[in-house]
Amino acid sequence: MTTATGNIGHVTQIIGSTFDAEFDGAHLPAIYNAVKIETEIKGLKIKVTGEVQQHLGGGRVRCVALGSTDGMVRGMDVRDTGSPVTVPVGKGTLGRVFNVLGDPIDGRGDVVHEERWSIHRDPPKLEDLSSKTELFETGIKVIDLLVPFVRGGKAGLFGGAGLGKTVILTELIARIAAAHGGYSVFAGVGERTREGNDLWLEMQEAEIGDTGRHVIEQTAMVFGQMNEPPGARLRVALTALTMAEWFRDATGADTLLFVDNIFRFSQAGAEVSALLGRMPSAVGYQPTLGTELGALQERITSTNRGAITSVQAVYVPADDPTDPAPATAFAHLDAFLYLERRIAEKGLYPAIDPLSSSSRILDPLVVGERHYKIARRVQQILQRYRELQDIIAILGIDELSEEDKLVVHRARRIERFLSQPFLVAEAFTGKKGKITSREETIESFEELCDGKWDHLPEGAFLYVGGIKEAAEQAERMAKA
Amino acid sequence: MAKARAIIKRLKAVRNVRKITRTMELVATARFKKAMDRATQAAAYTKKMSEIVADLSETLQESGSSISHPLLQQRESEKKSILLVVTSNRGLCGGYNAAVLRHTQQRLRQARADGVTLDVEVSGKRGIGFFKFQKLPTTASYTHFEDRVSFDEVEVLAKRFTEQFISGEIDRLDVAYTRFISMSRQMAVVETLLPIGNPAGAESKSGKTKTAYEFLPSPEQILEEIVPASFKARLFKCFLDAAVSEQISRMVAMKSATENADDMIRVLRAQYNRARQSQITSELSEIIGGAAALE
Repeated sequence: MTTATGNIGHVTQIIGSTFDAEFDGAHLPAIYNAVKIETEIKGLKIKVTGEVQQHLGGGRVRCVALGSTDGMVRGMDVRDTGSPVTVPVGKGTLGRVFNVLGDPIDGRGDVVHEERWSIHRDPPKLEDLSSKTELFETGIKVIDLLVPFVRGGKAGLFGGAGLGKTVILTELIARIAAAHGGYSVFAGVGERTREGNDLWLEMQEAEIGDTGRHVIEQTAMVFGQMNEPPGARLRVALTALTMAEWFRDATGADTLLFVDNIFRFSQAGAEVSALLGRMPSAVGYQPTLGTELGALQERITSTNRGAITSVQAVYVPADDPTDPAPATAFAHLDAFLYLERRIAEKGLYPAIDPLSSSSRILDPLVVGERHYKIARRVQQILQRYRELQDIIAILGIDELSEEDKLVVHRARRIERFLSQPFLVAEAFTGKKGKITSREETIESFEELCDGKWDHLPEGAFLYVGGIKEAAEQAERMAKA
Repeated sequence: MAKARAIIKRLKAVRNVRKITRTMELVATARFKKAMDRATQAAAYTKKMSEIVADLSETLQESGSSISHPLLQQRESEKKSILLVVTSNRGLCGGYNAAVLRHTQQRLRQARADGVTLDVEVSGKRGIGFFKFQKLPTTASYTHFEDRVSFDEVEVLAKRFTEQFISGEIDRLDVAYTRFISMSRQMAVVETLLPIGNPAGAESKSGKTKTAYEFLPSPEQILEEIVPASFKARLFKCFLDAAVSEQISRMVAMKSATENADDMIRVLRAQYNRARQSQITSELSEIIGGAAALE
């Protein structure tokens, strides 16, 4: 039931970032259609796009505004565009920065494009899904060993406020995108505008391998940050995803999709949910939380034509992973990294919790018997150490049995060895970023578990790459 | 609820631990008093004995007499020696055993460097466990020396050591134990008991005017009697000191453990209350929100 353009209605009610419009009962705009308001009031230009969410009956529709509703008044003309929001797709989007509506916001003029795609699309069909399972190396020890990423899969970075989610995400962009031949799409959802700007500038400087080309030339960025109304934050992830889907379907290239932060998507949904008249559900979230997230996540998949590898940051409110928003996101992911405050408090970054984090492919069939066994051994040692922590806190380390003392001794070294200097944090740590190959990582941890490096002081394991660097650091420490 | 329940579980566990440590502290306090009495009583006797032996041997040496006792003779070359390690049978006494074992390891390293064959005899389950774990050989182990060591039990050991030393089987005997200095100071040491040298604190006499000794029936016979007795007393004293020190470290360790547990209980309580409250708040707001939405 598409309606002709030129179908005009009137605003009847405005509540926060939602508004109602009345149309001719026979020509209602379809659900998800974009409606536009373009008028001028007292010299103030008002240009708002809304998305139809509900048909209220009596010719009225309820819409979510994708921009600010400031200055809107009842009675304004609302034009039905006849289709959902469409965004430009294609190679013309590379190197550009967009807002939720697909308009460039980098001040570099119009975007050259042949096609515009609707941001609401169906997820790929079951039969089209790719069944390949392949490891995706990042060069970060803790990730490659304990939470290996899947090529064409989804990885989530869960963490409370200030644990370094964005830092890890930018690090992954620096590592993966810089070494990667395909295209990348970055979606900034409801995070700090400044961070988006930093990232944009960084990408302009960073080079891809030694091709002399910049990362930005292979990247499209879409931002709907904290300053935007909830409608924009609710849809901006779809805008970015649509661009990524074009790269996957049209070029067949490996595409990377980075989302920071998927929680803001759920949060924006919750913000408009009550305004749309839905009854709040658990912890005040929208009752449609699972559906909304599912509609987004199911589209981020690899098909037989091409792969989308996605890394998403997920904010965990109040450090409580049982909160419905992160808990719902959890189910969609292949690799799950949980950032732990206790680790960050010790000054160990990346603060990835080696015990709560997990990956679907940490399986001997995919990563190999040796890798799997060593990863499990590392986890066992750390698990035992965690169990002993209360005893140590009360009775002191001297009360432990000799076996447990050894476990604690090694666990403390492993814990420190899981830290790693980052490429993007060079300015802060003063240490050069380290890329450690998976082979070296496995070897290092095997030796560590076997007790070959028990004699080195704990400090030697902090912020190094391979185990040999730890030995070198120990020597330097002994000299100083 | 999951979080609050997990906290409660931990809280209970910590409370149980606290109960144990508190009891242990009280028990150690009671035992410490008894051990302390025994040690101080023995201290005076041992000290006097050591002084007499030191005085006698000095007097004999000065008078140019060639009479001496084999237990007093320093061997020129040291080939084989015994190290007796005194640890406790029970744990929960802080760094008590760890300190003794640290000194033991030092002595072991030193002996290895000097090329001396060192036989290790261990008393106490903690020490035995340590040697087993480190896969270090021991020649004998005892677990019957509790906190009320009897002289008879020690005498058996002392006699054997004396015989081995005199027959030349061993050239030296060291004891690794915790010396009791005062209520607030105990020190893990490795002390050489054979050959009998001047024990710490015993040489103070030498500065004073010497007593002129008359030996009856003969110096040999007197030395024959008094030197082994002094050795026995000193070995016995080692065990007594160790027993007192053990109780003191247990007292201190358990006291701080109880305090740590108290702190932890306080933190967990606060955490639990907060978790419970936030749960109630969120449930209430959900009900109210739901009701409001239905209106």
